[in-house]
Amino acid sequence: MTDQKTEKESRVVLPVDPTRRTEIDKQRVPMSARPYRLLAMVKQDAVVRVQKEPDDTVMTWPHLLSIEFLAATVMSIFLLLMGLFINAPLEELANGNLTPPVAKAPWYLLGLQELLAYFHPVISGVLVPFLYILGGAFVLPFIDRANPEAKKPSERKTTVLLFSLFCILGLMVTFVGVFFRGPGYSIVTPLLPFFDNFTSGLHFAL
Amino acid sequence: MSFLERVDQAIRRSPAWRSLFRNPYPNDERSRAYAVMNNVFLHLHPVRVRQHAVKFAYTFCLGGLSFFLFLVLTVTGVYLMFFYIPSTTSAYSDILSIQANVAFGLITRNIHRWGAHLMVFFVFLHMMRVFYHGAYKPPREFNWVVGVFLLLFTIALSFTGYLLPWDQISYWAITIGLNMASYTPVINTPIQSLIFGGIEVGQNTLLRFYVLHIMVLPLITAIFLAVHFWRIRKDGGISGPL
Repeated sequence: MTDQKTEKESRVVLPVDPTRRTEIDKQRVPMSARPYRLLAMVKQDAVVRVQKEPDDTVMTWPHLLSIEFLAATVMSIFLLLMGLFINAPLEELANGNLTPPVAKAPWYLLGLQELLAYFHPVISGVLVPFLYILGGAFVLPFIDRANPEAKKPSERKTTVLLFSLFCILGLMVTFVGVFFRGPGYSIVTPLLPFFDNFTSGLHFAL
Repeated sequence: MSFLERVDQAIRRSPAWRSLFRNPYPNDERSRAYAVMNNVFLHLHPVRVRQHAVKFAYTFCLGGLSFFLFLVLTVTGVYLMFFYIPSTTSAYSDILSIQANVAFGLITRNIHRWGAHLMVFFVFLHMMRVFYHGAYKPPREFNWVVGVFLLLFTIALSFTGYLLPWDQISYWAITIGLNMASYTPVINTPIQSLIFGGIEVGQNTLLRFYVLHIMVLPLITAIFLAVHFWRIRKDGGISGPL
């Protein structure tokens, strides 16, 4: 009898004016009657849905971590071997008065330098990178809103074709810039000494 | 019980060991979940991941390896910083001295150089992988944008590091970059004086590129990396399956 009474008393403490009680106030329960607290909000789509697809998931330890560990190990060994056997390039001290036979940008910018040979610098040095970065990359997910569910390349042929075209174009100018440009940034054939008019050799440094 | 087993037991029961490792070696599902959840480095990961996400042929570990290379470059870069002064009069001789006199200096510089090229390459590849899997589609649009920023930061990091040896390759490569920037309409002079510190590559450029390379860009990159990883979790884990 006494137990019931105390429990009843603990449930009635609601400091809200009864005339102004909303639906949420009616659902309120005093802390003493609630042996739990809010620890996290879980949006249904924001976490891996273990309950809906029970067979679709595997434990991170060991399945994912072992792969990551292996990949990092292979990469470490590769870097160690590279570092042991191939020295990083280092030429003479920088000299602003001595122009080298060919001056090239790092390979990831050589595509742009290659474009300088074809177009006005404003186009190749400013417009193209700007369009590539802004149009091709930043805005891409906001342009391509045709079918959010289409993930396979075969289901979104136009996008894949356009993107591949841009990639191939970029790769081609980079490739030409890296391997086929020699002294004075003229066209050369790499490693083919039997053409008299062309200089042979690889004229790039990583 | 052999002597070694007893030593092993004693170590594992010692207060020091138990303060270091909260859980025993994870063998069952519960302890494996705790192992990921309770570790500050591993808790980037969810406790469970979807089956297709752990297939090597889906991600080729490109993003993870890019991050790993970032870590390798941080470690090797910090070591190189001890022996390098960003001054036009001493930078080049510092590099020579790193290669000749510093313990493990040559291999550290080699790894730093090759790792940097590999990182740019891997970030490119990672971007292409993400595109072909349609992983930039909702709800992951913003994480794609963060990724593009990270690509730009990676290129900027590599480009600023390129000048630091102060040899002919780096000097003329950066000079080309400076010339390209000079064709930017309207803001060419501000860009030149802000980033390159003048109209030609010199002491100002070297110092600016050094500060950008060792401090500004790595910090910004680290922040964007944190957002990038966080968003993967918040957007429902890795994309796919196709």
